[in-house]
Order: sequence, then structure tokens, then C-alpha cells
Amino acid sequence: MLHSGVKLCARLLLLSLSWGGTHSTGGPGSTLPPVVSGPPLSSDVRSVVFKGESQVEEVQVVRPLTLALECTWTGSQDRPHNISGFWRKDGSELADSRRPVLLENQQYNLRRAFSITDEEGLGNYSCVFDNQAEVDFILAAPRVGEVRDKPIVSYVGDSVVLQCKMEDTKPQPNSWTWYRANGTDKELLDPEPDSPRYQIHNQEGKTKLTVRNLTEADSGAYYCGAVYDISVTLSRVDLRVITFLEPLKPFLVIVGEVLVLVSLILLYERTKAHGPQPDNTLSDDQAHKLTPDDAGGEVTDSSTRQRKV
Amino acid sequence: MPQSPTAKLAHTPPDGGWGWMVVSGSFISIGFSYSFSKALTVFFKDIQRDFDVSYSEIAWVASIMLATMYAGGPLSGMLVNRFGSRPVTIAGGLMCGLSMVAASFGNSIISLYICIGLIGGLGLSLNLNASLTIISKYFLVRRPLANGLAMTGSPVFLCFLAPLNQYFLSNFGWRGSFLILGALMLHCCVAGALMRPLPSAPVPTVENGSPEGRDAGTQGTKLQSNCWSRVKIVDLSLFRDPGFVIYLIGNSMFFFGAYAPIVFLSSYAVSQGVDEFSAATLLSIMGFVDMFTRPGTGLLANTKWIRPRIQYFLSFAMVFNGTCHLLCPLATSYPSLVVYAAFFGIGFGMVFALIFECLMDIMGPLRFPKAIGLVTIIECCPMLLGPPTAGALVDYYGDHRYLFIMCGAVILTGGLFLFVMNVYNYHRIDKKGKAKDQELQGDDVPQQERALEHMPEEGPQAPGPGGDETGPGATEEDGAMGEDGAMGEDGAMGDHVRRSADDSRKRSQEFHSITI
Repeated sequence: MLHSGVKLCARLLLLSLSWGGTHSTGGPGSTLPPVVSGPPLSSDVRSVVFKGESQVEEVQVVRPLTLALECTWTGSQDRPHNISGFWRKDGSELADSRRPVLLENQQYNLRRAFSITDEEGLGNYSCVFDNQAEVDFILAAPRVGEVRDKPIVSYVGDSVVLQCKMEDTKPQPNSWTWYRANGTDKELLDPEPDSPRYQIHNQEGKTKLTVRNLTEADSGAYYCGAVYDISVTLSRVDLRVITFLEPLKPFLVIVGEVLVLVSLILLYERTKAHGPQPDNTLSDDQAHKLTPDDAGGEVTDSSTRQRKV
Repeated sequence: MPQSPTAKLAHTPPDGGWGWMVVSGSFISIGFSYSFSKALTVFFKDIQRDFDVSYSEIAWVASIMLATMYAGGPLSGMLVNRFGSRPVTIAGGLMCGLSMVAASFGNSIISLYICIGLIGGLGLSLNLNASLTIISKYFLVRRPLANGLAMTGSPVFLCFLAPLNQYFLSNFGWRGSFLILGALMLHCCVAGALMRPLPSAPVPTVENGSPEGRDAGTQGTKLQSNCWSRVKIVDLSLFRDPGFVIYLIGNSMFFFGAYAPIVFLSSYAVSQGVDEFSAATLLSIMGFVDMFTRPGTGLLANTKWIRPRIQYFLSFAMVFNGTCHLLCPLATSYPSLVVYAAFFGIGFGMVFALIFECLMDIMGPLRFPKAIGLVTIIECCPMLLGPPTAGALVDYYGDHRYLFIMCGAVILTGGLFLFVMNVYNYHRIDKKGKAKDQELQGDDVPQQERALEHMPEEGPQAPGPGGDETGPGATEEDGAMGEDGAMGEDGAMGDHVRRSADDSRKRSQEFHSITI
């Protein structure tokens, strides 16, 4: 529990992997990877100021790197000189990460570098101060933001386009893959270039899967995977294939209802016409007979009045 | 055209009874006409994906539908005049229904343009004109209320169609949805069935030799020749009526600025930091307020204080609307935008509840179908130009404020124009009336009264400009008396005189007591 005046600061550093190795100090995947061929990764430094009891920070990771996470906490009301802090990954405390934290310049500081080499390295990292304050860093590869929750509906014999688009603001994937849900497994879709049924068309940041000659068996979940160096993020698209009979039923019901209503109205009118004539019209004589005293027949009490002769 | 001395009214408007069923029919018809193209936007994303077209290409479908609905005005006016409202509405409903069914089988964007845009739009145009015309035939005393109630169809239908379309889309896809929407549009045929034609009066022996034997379906107003060569689709003689021209100019200005704020409200809200979902609710708030404003305005316009001054009420509504838009740039937070949306709804509802009532007021029910046809086709231009111009302003300045300022200024000017010109016009008409009065002083009372019938029928409080002697055709006619002072070829039905006094002797006094 924190008092209301507490400020929690954390800074986040992204460091480049350098040949000589650095200061990774334990934790999963802590051993430096072997000499990596390829261009050195660029470094990026971000600092974020946090206020409040706990904070969540999302970090997008696209390729393997060494990530230094730093948390700075301004402390609670009483600032003991010495508290303990530790790191957590995915809810469980990291071994030998607990250490005493000294108060410097009215602040407590926790810093640790993590080496993220593969998908295992991603997850939820937390720095915890004295069981009172914590910051969660969610390390993940970019996901497609706009997820459609309703299924795409198409018809037997028709063709449909399933599409995934990565937002421009997020790092673009290297390539895309498509999977089809098969029970609990995901089966990779890898059609030949001239396959009549499936066709995958990839563009920068966008992918389209065209399925032709749909059958009802094609219904189900499809996954588009955005391929990054670090991992593949999946996004789900549901497809539902129905026959034309399905909308036809409500269509026929409504058409029937319309026909019934129209017949009823016209029948009612016909029977009324054969009954007493409604006296809507004023004959000439009646019109002329209206005197100024006459309130004007059907004119109700409003400002309008018929002209008197 | 000379009138037979025994020419008389076809009927007095029932002002009730079956009229309310007609209002509900018009409610349905107008509801579909105005809300359908807006509600279609729900499907655009899916169609875009399936046909692989850009958003602007698919948005053309709605624009073509709206444009055709307005451009088809003169044609539908002519058809309504010829055949009456019921057959035209039923035909319109069938056209709309079949067009949607055809669209559901379409395989390219062009098929959608033609089916939904052209054919659907034409069907809606027939519906719109016929629904408005039949209200003018069934109502006179309670006409503003009837108009207000019928126009409420638009926000109510939009409120229901939008979520309904979402439901259809997620269950049947866009093709199935179009099929079902086609069936729903057939309810316009039900509306048409409700539009029972009024019994026609026995046609007197009229010089222009129009045949009798027209059945009840034609409303009994076929005093015009039914020779096709004399049927004009566009009646330019209407332009000689100053009241009509004033109305047209004022309303064109309104339509230029009316729709752009609706189109850009959500994006403006988002630019002010409101999240997307709340920004979308702003339009729902506006529609909700609109739903209640329209019948309320109709009720208010029917009162004895407002009815004679209904043209001024319309100007007030436009000024209110314009001011609302001008003040919009001051709204920067979500609560203030909600307030703006509510006032926008009020202003918008007021104008739309009155807009056709005022035209009926000016033109009378006989000239109304032609007039509304002409008005809609002319208003088509500013209505289509407004949002793109506003969009260009937003792109150029990068700021939404100028859009609202432009729209507000144009609408405000339109409202003020209407107000000033109507004051001037009524004043002019009253001067003529007084002159005629003095001329005929000392004549026989019946003759004098007969001459008075050439005067603006609507009385001093708010004389309709139709009483102009220079008016070409059927100017506003008097009430049930239907004397031959009624000018104009259709010389029968017309608006009643609004006077506070019973006595026709007091008419000259009333001319002096104009409370403009």
C-alpha cells in the first residue's frame, strides 16, 4: 500500500549487444549469446515517469536484444535507509535477484539487464520494492491491434478474403503466415502459387488470404501470424460459411408479413367502402351556407380558419 | 386558366381519422428514405474487403443513393400528380425492395452503384414525394403536427436500422443482410396501402376539357388536361412566385451546411481527445434528441401563436442551428461536446420538422408535388457539395474548427435571409392588399369579398406570399369557400386564412395589425 504522495519512477533502457559482453547479471537466458553475425543492433533509450502504486508498461520487442530495466521509486512516507527489492518474471521471483536497496537522493533504484534471445525471454517482468510498490514490464512482439470479434460470414460457393493488417505505428513484421485451426492444433496453410482454393497475398504490413469455392467445412478459426525475429504473433479471424437458405428464411417471413398487411389494409378499405360513406366532402350548398357565426365545420380550435363569405 | 364559376374544392382535408394512419404510412416511408443510405455505412468495410475497393469508392454508393433520391424529385412529383400517392409509394417500395435483392447478388461495385444507388434512390424518391404530398392532402389545420410526426421517421428509423444492420451483418454477412433489407423495404408498400386516396369531388364542367371518369385514385384534382404534352416534369413557372424563390435560396444555404457537421463530428471529437467509442455516441445523442424534437416542433408550430408565423419559426430554427455550429469550436471536452450534440439535435430536428411544412404553406397542396420536386433537385447540389467542401477545409487548415464556422455561418446567413426576405415579402403583399382594399371600397360587399379572395389568403399575421396576383398558377387558395377568386388552374384546395377575427369586415383592420 502506498500513500497518496508517492511517486514511482522507472526508467527503461535498451542497450545494444556489444561484442565484449556486458553486465547481464543473472536471470533466464542470462548467458550472453555467442558471437552474433549480422549488423549490430541499434540502441534505444526510453525513460518513463510513473506515479501510483503500480504501473504497467508495454515494451515491444521485435528482435533479440539485451534489455536493461530500471525502476526508480520515491519511497513511502517513512523512508527507511535500507529496503529490499527483487525482480519477478511471469509471477515467480527470479532466483538471486533479491538484494538490499539503499536510499540515494531520496529515491530507491533497481536496475537489471535481461537478455532476450527468443520467445522464452518475452513475458511479464516486474520490479518489486519492499512488497509495496511494483512496476510491470510486459515484453511482447507487436500484435495486430484491430481484432475483429465477430466472424466473417460468407456463402457456399462464394469466395472470401481474410485480412490482417499491422498498424503503421507498430513495427512491421518480416513476413506473414497463415494457420487453420484443426481441433487444438494449428495447421500451416502453405498453398501452391496457382492453387485454385487458397491464395495468400502479402504486402508490407498487410496480408490477405483468399479462399475460393467455399464449403461449409471451411468454417472455423484462421490465424494470421506476423513473423518477427523474436517470435510470431498470432491474430485470430473467424470464418462462418452458410448456405443461402439461411437469410432466405427471414426474407420469406417478412415478405409474407408484408403481403398479409397489405391485404388486410385493402380488405378493410373495401369493406368500409361498402359500408356507410364517410362524409368528407362539403357540397357547394353547404359551403355557401357557412356563415360567419359558424365555427367552420371541422376546423378545430387553432388559429386557422376558413374564409367566410 | 379560366375557372368555372362552380369550381369547388375537391374535399376538405379530414385533419384526423384515417389521416393518422396516413401519417404512420408517411412515417415509415420518410423513415426509409432518409435513414437508409446512412445506415448502409455499416456494411461498407465488408464490401470493401470483398470487392477490393477503396473507402471512397464504396462511399459513393450512399452518395449516389442520396443524390438520386433528391434528383428524382421532379419525376416523382409528376407521377404523384398523375397517379396519386398510393400507386407511387407502392411502386417505390417495390423498386427499393427489388433493388436490394438484386444488390445482394452483385459481384462488382458497379452493380451496387446501379442497384442500390440508382434504382434504390429512385424508389426512395418516389416514396418521399408521395408521402409528403398525401399529408398535405389529408391535413390542413393540424398539418404542422402531421408533418412533424411524419418526419420523425427519419431519426427513429436510423436509431433502429443501425444496430439491426450490425446484427444482420454478423449473422448473415452483407449479402444476406441486403436480401433481408430488401424484404424490409417492402414495408413501404404497406405504407402505400395505408395512403388511402381521398374521394374525388364530382368534377364540374370545366372549360379546359379535362375528362371525368378519373377514379378516386387521382384525388379528383385532375382539372388539368391529362394530355401528356401538357404535363411538365419541371414547372418553371413556380419560379415566378417570390415566396418560393426565397424559400429555395434559404434552404439551399441550409443544406450546404447541414450535413458536414454530422459527417465530421466524430473525427472532431477524436481530435479533441475523446476516445472513439464516446465520439460515436455523440451522433446517437444527436439522433435521440432529434427524435423528440421533431414531433415537439410540429406540436409547437401548430399553436395559434406560431402557425401564422411559421416561416419565421423556420428562420429561427435555422439561426439556432447556425449559432450552434458557430459555438461548436468552444466545445473541447466530452461533456461540452455532448451539450453541443444535444443542441445540434434540437436545431436539426426543428428545421427538418418545419422544412416541408413551410413549403406546403407557401405552395398549397396542389402545387406542392411539383414544388417539392423542383426543390429537391435544386437542393441536391448544395447538399452534395457541402461535406466535400468542408472536408477540403479540414485538410487545408488541418483544423476542424473552420468547418464548423463555415457551416454555422452559411446556415445562419440562410436563416437571416429567410427572415428578412419574408418580412419584406409579406410587407409587399400587405401593401398590395391594402391598395386593393381601398380600390374596392364602396363596391358590393359580395364583390368586395370576392376581390378580397385575391388577397393573400393567409391573413395578416403571416400572409402567404402565394396571394400575389402576379403569381402564375394555383396560388394559395382560400378555404372551403373555394370561390372563383381562386386563381390558378387547379383552383380548389388551399390553405385556410389565419385570422384572429371572425368577421370579414375586420380584414382591413387586420392588414394594419401585422405583427411582423
